[in-house]
Amino acid sequence: MVMRLKSVVAAFAFCVAASNGYAADPIKIGVDGPFTGGSSSMGVSMRDGVRLAAAEINKAGGVLGRPIVLIERDDEAKNERGVQIAQELINKEKVVAIVGYINTGVALASQRFFQEAKIPVFNNVATGSIITKQFSDQPDNYVFRNAAADRIQAPMIVDEAVTKRGFKKVAILADSTNYGQLGREDLEKALAAVGVKPVAVEKFNIKDVDMTAQLLKAKQAGAEAVLTYGIGPELAQIANGMAKLGWKVPLIGSWTLSMANYIDNAGANGEGARMPQTFIQVPNTAKRKAFIDAYLKEFKPKNDRIDSPVSAAQGYDSIYLLAAAITQAGTTDGPKVRAALENLNTKVEGVVMVYNKPFTHSDHEAVSPNVPVIGEVKGGRVVYAYDSDKEGGGQLRIKQASRD
Amino acid sequence: MSILLQLIYSGIALGMIYAVIAFGYQLTFATSGTLNFGQGDALMLGALMGLTLVTLGVNYWLMIPLVCVFGMLQGAFVERIGVRPAIKIKSEFGWIMSTIALGIIFKNVAENVWGRDDLRFPSPLPEAPLNVFGANVLPMELLVVCGALAMMLAVEFFNRKTILGKAVVATANDRDAAALMGINTGLVITFSYALSSLTAAFAGVLIAPLTLTGATMGAVLGLKAFAVAIIGGLSSGLGIVVGGVILGIAETTTGFYLSTGYKDVPGLVLLLIVLSLKPAGLFGKTAIKKV
Repeated sequence: MVMRLKSVVAAFAFCVAASNGYAADPIKIGVDGPFTGGSSSMGVSMRDGVRLAAAEINKAGGVLGRPIVLIERDDEAKNERGVQIAQELINKEKVVAIVGYINTGVALASQRFFQEAKIPVFNNVATGSIITKQFSDQPDNYVFRNAAADRIQAPMIVDEAVTKRGFKKVAILADSTNYGQLGREDLEKALAAVGVKPVAVEKFNIKDVDMTAQLLKAKQAGAEAVLTYGIGPELAQIANGMAKLGWKVPLIGSWTLSMANYIDNAGANGEGARMPQTFIQVPNTAKRKAFIDAYLKEFKPKNDRIDSPVSAAQGYDSIYLLAAAITQAGTTDGPKVRAALENLNTKVEGVVMVYNKPFTHSDHEAVSPNVPVIGEVKGGRVVYAYDSDKEGGGQLRIKQASRD
Repeated sequence: MSILLQLIYSGIALGMIYAVIAFGYQLTFATSGTLNFGQGDALMLGALMGLTLVTLGVNYWLMIPLVCVFGMLQGAFVERIGVRPAIKIKSEFGWIMSTIALGIIFKNVAENVWGRDDLRFPSPLPEAPLNVFGANVLPMELLVVCGALAMMLAVEFFNRKTILGKAVVATANDRDAAALMGINTGLVITFSYALSSLTAAFAGVLIAPLTLTGATMGAVLGLKAFAVAIIGGLSSGLGIVVGGVILGIAETTTGFYLSTGYKDVPGLVLLLIVLSLKPAGLFGKTAIKKV
């Protein structure tokens, strides 16, 4: 009897040891975003883009022969949740890198844990300008980004409102989060650069539904256009509030005016809003067509409309960039992956643009001012606002050398 | 002047929304001395249920009684599961935790059933604003004000003219005496919870076309309505209407004249003032406890 038990245990142990030898050690990549709440359309789209890219890479053999495993966590757009998740991913799950962060506030609160642990952070949606500069005083910065920073979007918004459409009196409506307030500062700076001072600067909170006071102040000051920095639900209430007051002036704002929950909740009142976009759901290149088709087939969104096309595309590209860096570094060791990202040898053809040496030691922004275009809400979707962009859209842009 | 008028209209519409939810708090407090802290979530469930029915093709006006019935069932459920056990063991505050807990459970169930995004509720009335004395009002806002007042009048009528209503008033007055008189006080308390959730669900379908319908819509509203219930006094229906209107107008005018960042402040400052000067509420009756 004892002999029998011993041989069974021995056989079992042998099987376990043998199977360990065959399984490839997975590469754990953390995915952090708001999958619930007002920002969730961005978070879920980003996560789905990331999942699509990871599945494609795994089907082609993985990175360094190892499969990518995504560790997804919902930060609910709350700074404190982001901090908790960062600590869990570093200490318990031991991820080699993290992609994500939709909300600027969450990113700013959570990144320092990864910076201390020397784990690369790939911001694929959050746009607060200081995100990649948070650790500029340290010798090595582990935060990278492939989204259009607010210091690019704010001048584009001002250019569209003041230069292209000639509005001299504008009002700024921003939410009270880090994103809204930092964005407001960027807008004021950009306006000052063209010699315009906003006639009204108002703020609102997340979950506010009544924007009457803010809109009345803007109207009383004589604003000809409203520049916004907020997220979908509240932006929809601004559009609806304008319709209620019978005061319809153009809405030009940050890229969040493309969110599905803005378009759906504002309905007809939201049409005509314009915003900078790095990606518009139009299959005007082979790579974009392949991405859109694969996304629609896999996730089947309502009306074949990706909830946040920019988040999905940037999420997808972020995994490919990270994979290229890990392959080049030959290891998942944080400092080596960072070095590889800063000196990327291979050209990565992404959905948003072609990434040709996107990062250097001092510059961790993949998106330059020539990449985003102006999008417009028309017929319940986001389309190109200017035909020249649409025609030129067939050419994927390459990053211009940055000036700062 | 028209701006002030516009702010007042907005404030009244907002205030009536708070009042109609606060009314629910008052109903249960009057009969059982307990509050349903999941009131905001009852509103949310009513609104989402209404949205489902409307998207299935039911006419808005027909949908209202259906949602009211749903509200009654939900209220009875909350009372049975959460409040009755706490009252039975004469727990001072057990019902607070259980109603909060049930509220959280409902919110999570709603998130899973209807998704986490905010949805649009199609408006039954035309969306073009009406111009009244120089300021704009949405037809839907008028419906909210009328609906809220109508419902409160209906409940008052019920309380005074019908037998069941009188039973409710009797239980509110003195629970033990009512029991001795042969009134089934347990049933009356269940009924008052059902009625309170009915008013919340009704409020939900009224305000849904004006705001964003989603699993989280109840939280802030429930809290502000609680402030209104305290300000107005937990024993007076009129006090709640007045309290709601005061809070609504205070919010919109502060937003405009002071700063939009301070919109939520006046309501809460008012709450503190009322609690320190007249704790029973502006219209409430101070209970005199003789020892």
